[in-house]
Amino acid sequence: MMVLETLLYIIAYPPLWQVIVIGLLGSFLTAMIAIWFERKAAARVQRRIGPYWASPRLGGFLNLVADMIRYILQEVIIPRTVDKVPFVLAPVAAFVVSIMPIAFVPLSPYEKFWPVPDMQYSLLIALAITTVPPLLAVIGGWASNNKFAVIGSLRESYVITAYELIFVIAVLSAAPTFLTLNVLHIVEAQSPFMWLAFLNPIAFLAAFLAVLMSTSAFPFEIPESEHEVVAGPYTEYSGILYALNMGGAYVRRFIYAVLISLVFLGGWAPYVPPSEGPLFAIIVPSIIVAVKALIVVLAMSFLRAVYGRYRLDQALDSAWRLVLPLALIGLGWGIALGLIM
Amino acid sequence: MPPRVAVKNLKKGGGLFEGVKSNIEALIVGIKYFVDPKRMTLLYPKEYPEHRPGYRGFIVLKKDVCISCAACARVCPSAAMKMVRVTEADPREPGKARQKQYPVINYQRCIFCGYCVDVCPVEALYHLPFHDITYESLADMFLTLEAFQKEPLRPVEKEGSPVVYEFDESAGLVKREKKGGA
Ligand code: SF4
Ligand code: SF4
Repeated sequence: MMVLETLLYIIAYPPLWQVIVIGLLGSFLTAMIAIWFERKAAARVQRRIGPYWASPRLGGFLNLVADMIRYILQEVIIPRTVDKVPFVLAPVAAFVVSIMPIAFVPLSPYEKFWPVPDMQYSLLIALAITTVPPLLAVIGGWASNNKFAVIGSLRESYVITAYELIFVIAVLSAAPTFLTLNVLHIVEAQSPFMWLAFLNPIAFLAAFLAVLMSTSAFPFEIPESEHEVVAGPYTEYSGILYALNMGGAYVRRFIYAVLISLVFLGGWAPYVPPSEGPLFAIIVPSIIVAVKALIVVLAMSFLRAVYGRYRLDQALDSAWRLVLPLALIGLGWGIALGLIM
Repeated sequence: MPPRVAVKNLKKGGGLFEGVKSNIEALIVGIKYFVDPKRMTLLYPKEYPEHRPGYRGFIVLKKDVCISCAACARVCPSAAMKMVRVTEADPREPGKARQKQYPVINYQRCIFCGYCVDVCPVEALYHLPFHDITYESLADMFLTLEAFQKEPLRPVEKEGSPVVYEFDESAGLVKREKKGGA
């Protein structure tokens, strides 16, 4: 019994559990499930079957494992013309920084399970860090010294300028409603079913659309649209570096989804974690959050089957003329809610 | 005269409400298809299509019938058919050899159009009702005269069972009748 308990405490050690298990493994698994679901959902909508033969019982899920192995074993080609140091560092750094925001949000109401000692400004810090990885993608594209990569980076910077602003405004609309920037208070204020997604659906919708666009989720993969700019910022990448770039987009989407599920979907609500024991105080609530985030990611993946890709100008047009006002309305609504409550 | 430039005013979608409505409609259609269990996929190596007679598949030569007219090689639109000169025993004058030309086929080039079969005046060529064979090397796709006379085996016959399918436009699905097999 003692051994088991000790083991649980080791696993629940905040940096290990929250950053490595939920952050790294969780986003890894989410990326695989999301890609698999993307293919399956598109296939179902088109009345096909999708991945199948790799593992008929699992619905072809092992296909993704095979893909992953292929990426890992593929030769990494670094062209002679690229700027080597930023070229190699940018995807690695982008991947790492993509995971970082999860270290600054609480996945448990108890301080001993937090990776950082204070959650006072957790919402702001997490939001601030989510804006860094696209810059690294732009650096990687610029370092590639390839016209497609430069055009792709330019598109990426256009899209993120528009949509990250929207995401930040939409998520910050939670602050005036609950009069706090502490994610913990936001989560606790929503328990058990007063989820902000119900109270303020407009901000939720705006945040959802912003994530969809800014992580270039599949139908909206404007920066790396294959038919126009080969692979956008990632044109010169191959092998594991390319996998890091592509996986990085899914990791970012997962982390955004974790933020959304904390701020809009009530975090670990309706579950109320008891204070003792690592299993029920941290592991269960964080898995609830991760599952909610996974559902958000899968909902985004489903849209691939329905929508076509937007042109850059259409995406920017709808960003500035439609979604940004939506986010501002959400913010206004949030302020009004805060005044009423 | 230079072409006149006309600015076309395309009708815009009917504003915000219309946009929201059509988006929701698209989502509903997507979800409807998502939960619909009907499928159009043939699980290929396990079930393989049994084609109707007249299907233009692999081509086989009946050497004894061929009169070496070379019409097949001339009509071939992709230059897949070539005539080769062989020396063989003359059936009419025993003990003597004769030279004769026969067609051979290069499946790297063949597009399975069937012109060669159509044009042959003595029906020395015929189609097999499939063309799902893979070759291990490109060189194997040049058939020799001997190989061109043999009907190739269809590898998928070992693994799967034949099905006949048809599209039903209204229900949009594949109807299958399995003939024998597992
Ligand atoms: S089927 Fe068409 S392409 Fe093929 S050998 Fe005959 S004529 Fe040529
Ligand atoms: S067209 Fe027929 S008869 Fe003439 S060479 Fe070809 S196979 Fe022989």
